[in-house]
Amino acid sequence: MQFRPAYLALAAAAVGLALLPQIIVAKYYLHLSILALIWTIAAQGQNLIQGHAGYVSIVQAGFMGIGAYGTTLLGMHFALPVWLTMLLAPFVTALFALAAGYPSLRVKGRCFAIVTLAYNLVIFIVLTNWTSLTHGEAGITGIPKPGGPDGWFDFRDRATFNCLTLILAGAMTGLAWLIARSRIGQTLRAIRQNEDLVGAIGIPAWKYKLFAFVAAAAFAGLAGAVYAHYQSFINPEVFGLAQSLDAILAVIVGGSGAIAGPFIGAFFVVFLPEYLRFADAFRLIIYGLALILATIFMPRGIVGVASDLWARSRRGRE
Amino acid sequence: MIELVQQILNGLAIGGVYVLVALGLTTVFGILGIAHFAHGSVSMFGGCLTCFLAVSAGLPLLAAIAAAMAVGFVLGVAIELLAYRPVRGASHINAFIVALGLTMMVEGLNLQLFGHEQVVILTGLSRVFEIGGVTIPELRLYVILAAAALIASMTLFVERTRTGQAIRAVAENREAAILMGVNVQAIPLIVFGISTTLGVCAGVMVGSLFAIAPGIGEWLVVKGFAVLILGGLGSIPGAVIGGMVLGVTEALAAGFVSSAYKDLIAFAVMIAVLLMRPQGLMGKA
Repeated sequence: MQFRPAYLALAAAAVGLALLPQIIVAKYYLHLSILALIWTIAAQGQNLIQGHAGYVSIVQAGFMGIGAYGTTLLGMHFALPVWLTMLLAPFVTALFALAAGYPSLRVKGRCFAIVTLAYNLVIFIVLTNWTSLTHGEAGITGIPKPGGPDGWFDFRDRATFNCLTLILAGAMTGLAWLIARSRIGQTLRAIRQNEDLVGAIGIPAWKYKLFAFVAAAAFAGLAGAVYAHYQSFINPEVFGLAQSLDAILAVIVGGSGAIAGPFIGAFFVVFLPEYLRFADAFRLIIYGLALILATIFMPRGIVGVASDLWARSRRGRE
Repeated sequence: MIELVQQILNGLAIGGVYVLVALGLTTVFGILGIAHFAHGSVSMFGGCLTCFLAVSAGLPLLAAIAAAMAVGFVLGVAIELLAYRPVRGASHINAFIVALGLTMMVEGLNLQLFGHEQVVILTGLSRVFEIGGVTIPELRLYVILAAAALIASMTLFVERTRTGQAIRAVAENREAAILMGVNVQAIPLIVFGISTTLGVCAGVMVGSLFAIAPGIGEWLVVKGFAVLILGGLGSIPGAVIGGMVLGVTEALAAGFVSSAYKDLIAFAVMIAVLLMRPQGLMGKA
């Protein structure tokens, strides 16, 4: 019941975004839209661990970094085709997450957040300091776009790239939806509600948590890879703590646990700071205040508010 | 050998700062279960404010520190009342998101009030003692002593006073504390006030030992949480031992391995401890 308006909204948004290059002329908004779609992929992953399992992980941007550097370095050093490295990136990221997740999931609840935060810092330190591999703060330039100049599609064109990110974001949203409605998703939500009980009835909760963590990382890895090939330039700065916080915000502002939530939230975190540009120095303060007020007054996010309004209007009609 | 002693001493000074940050975090966590992520930014605010009061307002340094500590107490109370209290009953993720929002607000406030420039608190303490080849800058010694004094008074407060007893009671069993007539509405305010005051002290120490620059608040709070995880959540002795272990590990890593990777080594130690003792060094199993 609650999900039906969400499907409608999603379908409308997908059509709208596909037509976006025709509607808006300003290249800049198209650029933001592509970024928001990339963030949708990362936020859908974040939603698995944060929204469903109820574990806040603060390493999503770090994992995007592993995906971005993974695809770039694989392409540079092994001369692999772009499509292949983009496909490999989520798996590379998942491997890292598997190694990182095992010790960190031994701590329950809030401490997990801090441990993952430490991972993000570690990733950032390595990306910044291992200059022989990553070129440090200067970053890597000239990352090739998929397809190349004589491919079927010219992905140097933003409208074409917009379609690619739209398809990927749609596919990953679908995948997240499949996971959420499967037995795994059910178990994750059970863990959120009562982890001890899940353990008591003989379900190995840690396996499910690890799965959610690794899956979230794979989503982030793909998002990072798409980002790298879209921007053609990466440096560690965009994979820091602040960006991981954005992923968390996207989930909570959009509506955690709901399938449309991360999508709406991703557009929110990409577009709102842009609109707040007029406020200049006060931007950070306004953004923080908006966040606190949103958490206090609409803890279920935009999707929660929308579905409440929808339910109320239906009740009104009957 | 002398080099080793020297690095350990350096580690104790920075470890003292970590302990002060962690003490605030651990009491807040123990009582309210909140991961108070804005703590580092608030400490930074305290450091900047002290510098402002001492330089622009012309107060003597100690008076400036005292004034900043008082402002810190009020700020802590306000944060609890306005930001955390409204999300008390909700899931812990909500409190954490509020903490993130607060961090942004305090960071923004810092930029507005004190600008982007890095701030150094000038103490005028520049003498250097030398004992058996080990050089001890006067300032570092005072930082260690001040940290020790603050830790001792905090411990005495929690262990010996009636308010401290009430704080421990709420941490242990909130319902029972209410039944025993503890004012559970006032306790969080006191806890936040005191931990923010300790955070301000840590900020002053960072500002006088190194420098305060944008971004340092984040670094400080992450270290504070690392100490918490190392030492065991909600445990004051854990915070002290964890802070010292982290500070000394970092100093040794910086001195003997690589200063670029010192944080990485510190986190590796944290994760290794977690693997062997998930409850932390001093935590109860």
